[in-house]
Amino acid sequence: MFCNLTRWLISRAEDRGKKMPRFAERHAAQCGACREYARFTTSLSARLSTETPEFLAKAPDSPWDPAAWAAEGAGRGTRAPLRRRFVLHPYPAAAAVLVVAASALVFFLVVRPGPGPGLTSAEKQEVIASLKSVTAVPAEFRGAIAEAESSLAKERLILENSVLSAVEYFQTRLNIRIERTKEAPKSL
Amino acid sequence: MIDPGPIEKMTDEELAREARAGSRRSFEELALRYKRRLFVYFRPRLGSDQDAEDLVQETFLKLYRNIHNYDPAFRFSTWLYTSANRLAISSYRRKKIAVGRLGPEVADASADPAVRAAAGETRSTGLWDAARTLGRNQYRVLWLRYGEDLTIEEIAASIGKSRLAVRLLLHRARTNLMKRAGPAPGRAAATTKAAAVRETLLG
Repeated sequence: MFCNLTRWLISRAEDRGKKMPRFAERHAAQCGACREYARFTTSLSARLSTETPEFLAKAPDSPWDPAAWAAEGAGRGTRAPLRRRFVLHPYPAAAAVLVVAASALVFFLVVRPGPGPGLTSAEKQEVIASLKSVTAVPAEFRGAIAEAESSLAKERLILENSVLSAVEYFQTRLNIRIERTKEAPKSL
Repeated sequence: MIDPGPIEKMTDEELAREARAGSRRSFEELALRYKRRLFVYFRPRLGSDQDAEDLVQETFLKLYRNIHNYDPAFRFSTWLYTSANRLAISSYRRKKIAVGRLGPEVADASADPAVRAAAGETRSTGLWDAARTLGRNQYRVLWLRYGEDLTIEEIAASIGKSRLAVRLLLHRARTNLMKRAGPAPGRAAATTKAAAVRETLLG
């Protein structure tokens, strides 16, 4: 039951140098397979290190491709090393700070001026008169408005006359009396 | 220029530093040290010796091109295997596409370690030969751990997996390797069970 856990703990002890828990030690003392795994794991480093030279000797000793190396060597001398990290250089940084400070000064001293000298009463009257002349309605506008209003009054009169004649017709035709009970709406 | 004597005594990191400064000879020494190692690392993943040799060649060319990016604060082997893994992944993808065009039977046969073993590819009874018949990832981590003596963290950085994943792969690799290669020899003399456990676990 504890075999998998014990073997994992054996591996952990090998990789991280941590001591095994007591229950795992007790289990390994009683379980032959786990004991064998512990023995294999601890001996693995030495066995593989011993075998490495022989294993490497079996690998082919591949020759180098001289053409590729020559091409690389020809182009390599001119290549500058790449800058890997962002570094804030002192002179550009100081220049940037100066520019910001100068901009702030210009803004506060030139663009946003303080309260200026006061105006005399005559100057104030002049300013008000010039403002009135600018905002006043032109004379030609007034004439146009009067013309528009007069044509509207004529239209209203014609309409009222038409209504009155229609009322008279109905009175004589139907022999009834129609009276105006209240004022006509203002729109008429 | 470096004398022929000391160059062989220099560490990988020293050679890489020299190579970064422009010494081609130092880089050739590094390539000499690692070409067989890279070959055995690549070989189980690829279809043939020729493919593995090509990939070794390609890896060193890539390293030579990018040697100015090497940071001497790190081990050279970690940097080398990180680049090698990236190249191997793209090469394996290309290879997979090429094998896929031949037909599924051929692709399966070349990918199955048992078939490769039965075909006589691993005739030797050595542990590394048995390890080559493991799954690709298990063999990779086993080689990096015991062949190159990298730490778990360095392996994780090289192959782009978490430390836990690397430890899990190592555990599986050990379990499967024991099944294939048999138990450790020479310790059968332990008289009692308790003595054997004490001997193996507590050193």
